[in-house]
Amino acid sequence: MMSFTTKSLPASSILISREFEYVGARSQPDTLIYTWGVADHGALGRASFVRPDHKNRQQHLSYVHHPHRLGFGEYHKIVDLSCGYGFTLFAVGKPSEVSCYGTGLNTDSQIGNHEPRRGYPLGMLISPAPIEAPLDKSSKVSSGRAHTVMLTDKGGVWTVGNNAYGQCGRSILPDEDYGRKAAYHRIKALDDITICHIECGQDTSFFLSDKGVVYSCGWGADGQTGRGHYDNEPDVEKGEVFGWGNSEYHQLNSATDDMQIHVAKKLNFPGVKKVLDVASAGTMCLLLDEDGHVYSWGFGPIGKGPDVTYSKIPTQLPLTLFGRNEITPDAKVVSITCGINHLAAVNSNGSLFTWGKNPGGCLGLGHTKDQYFPLRVSIGGQVIKVSCGVDHTAAMVKEIL
Amino acid sequence: MMATRGPLQLTLALFKPDITRVPHVVQAIRNRIIQEDFFVVRHKEVRLSRQDTEQFYEEHRGKFFYNRLVTFIGPSQALILAHEDAIKHWRALMGPTKVYKTKYEAPDTIRGMYGLTDTRNSTHGSDAEETAAREMKFFFPEFCQEDWYRVEEDRFRKGQVRLDEVKFMHNLF
Repeated sequence: MMSFTTKSLPASSILISREFEYVGARSQPDTLIYTWGVADHGALGRASFVRPDHKNRQQHLSYVHHPHRLGFGEYHKIVDLSCGYGFTLFAVGKPSEVSCYGTGLNTDSQIGNHEPRRGYPLGMLISPAPIEAPLDKSSKVSSGRAHTVMLTDKGGVWTVGNNAYGQCGRSILPDEDYGRKAAYHRIKALDDITICHIECGQDTSFFLSDKGVVYSCGWGADGQTGRGHYDNEPDVEKGEVFGWGNSEYHQLNSATDDMQIHVAKKLNFPGVKKVLDVASAGTMCLLLDEDGHVYSWGFGPIGKGPDVTYSKIPTQLPLTLFGRNEITPDAKVVSITCGINHLAAVNSNGSLFTWGKNPGGCLGLGHTKDQYFPLRVSIGGQVIKVSCGVDHTAAMVKEIL
Repeated sequence: MMATRGPLQLTLALFKPDITRVPHVVQAIRNRIIQEDFFVVRHKEVRLSRQDTEQFYEEHRGKFFYNRLVTFIGPSQALILAHEDAIKHWRALMGPTKVYKTKYEAPDTIRGMYGLTDTRNSTHGSDAEETAAREMKFFFPEFCQEDWYRVEEDRFRKGQVRLDEVKFMHNLF
């Protein structure tokens, strides 16, 4: 009898321990969207937080310190999302006619032109509104402090929003009022290159091609871009980590003792295996190796206990903190990400762990106190993607029920 | 009403481009200024250009962060604040320059709460009387400190002023 039971179970459920299983092989769980953190700027996407209808007993909320399910995600098939400073972007798949939506601050037209009254552009959107960029279908979105980058499925890259440092990949006009008119820009220099990934810093944009070349534009005062617009960064080989930019807090100590460097240098981490993923916050750095171990270094609440510390070299965070225990002994971290002052990791069971500075409860842990080691966020589903802004966070979640 | 106050000092405060674009943060900082019994003597929106910042941060030329100071440009708000010992008081309220550290060492200051990075550190304040005078001249060339002390200081001190919430400035009445 025992052997029969074992045989009838699918192989995967024996090899990989799971916290739960879907009923029926054909179940098609939906993707849900959760947002949390500061609500004042509208980036959580629920209008009643900012403008409550008191007749319906709605209350004004300045912040939400636990994951809040966003209705917008139920009506649209969201394929990607990204959090900037006070705004959130969504890439939406078919059948929606518009492929990109945004909510939150729009003071630099980072969510496009929204002018219900002529001459009075909206500086803030309190629920998701379409970005009417002349593009087909976007597959990825990324957002900086006040600009938006969209990658279309055919490979073209579009930008909109603040361009004071050239982060939109166009020439800087000294007196341009970014809030008055949205300037959608296709980066022509990238037209013949297949871009497969985009990533924004605060006032910088980075583009990774299928050949493994990184292109960049934007603010280079700390050497973030490698200087100048479209200066190619050196080729990046898979599994090796290169660093550039500011190093006042020992972020790049393994390559330099200088305060800042403007060329990419290879970072050597003795004893660390092949690196799969990296994340760099304002002063903190994370890396993920092929075994699912997370290492952290830099300055701040890097996950090493109750003190704010400096660490010049990467040290490993115990996997127990990321859900490895007797029930799920195979759990490992599969992705890492961060905002400026808070960090997040997702493990192979789709559990989300956050730690760091907690303005407005952006860690989603149900309080607004700072968190000094990774702690699991209570969220109803398997986290697929998480994006951290400055004081808010958003996640794409595969539903359980 | 406010109690009688000692002699007022003037200082220049600057809301930098990173926060002027975030309405609820601007409002929160304004509330702090009023809570701490500052008078807003002058207030104007300015748009910093590269030439402006180069002139403004002249004293930091040659330091490694000079480049990021002068390239941090955009819409800003300049204010002349009055308070007893205003320079020290405003700098205490702002907190230390290095935002990343201030967030942990002085989390209740303006920079600790609303600063983004060491460069995008939300606000600026004069560090001494001479720099205050120079910086006020820079943003408010039409404002004469001597005249203000002669004519208005006494009435501000007695609290004969009203706050204009829209313009965010105290006016004599």
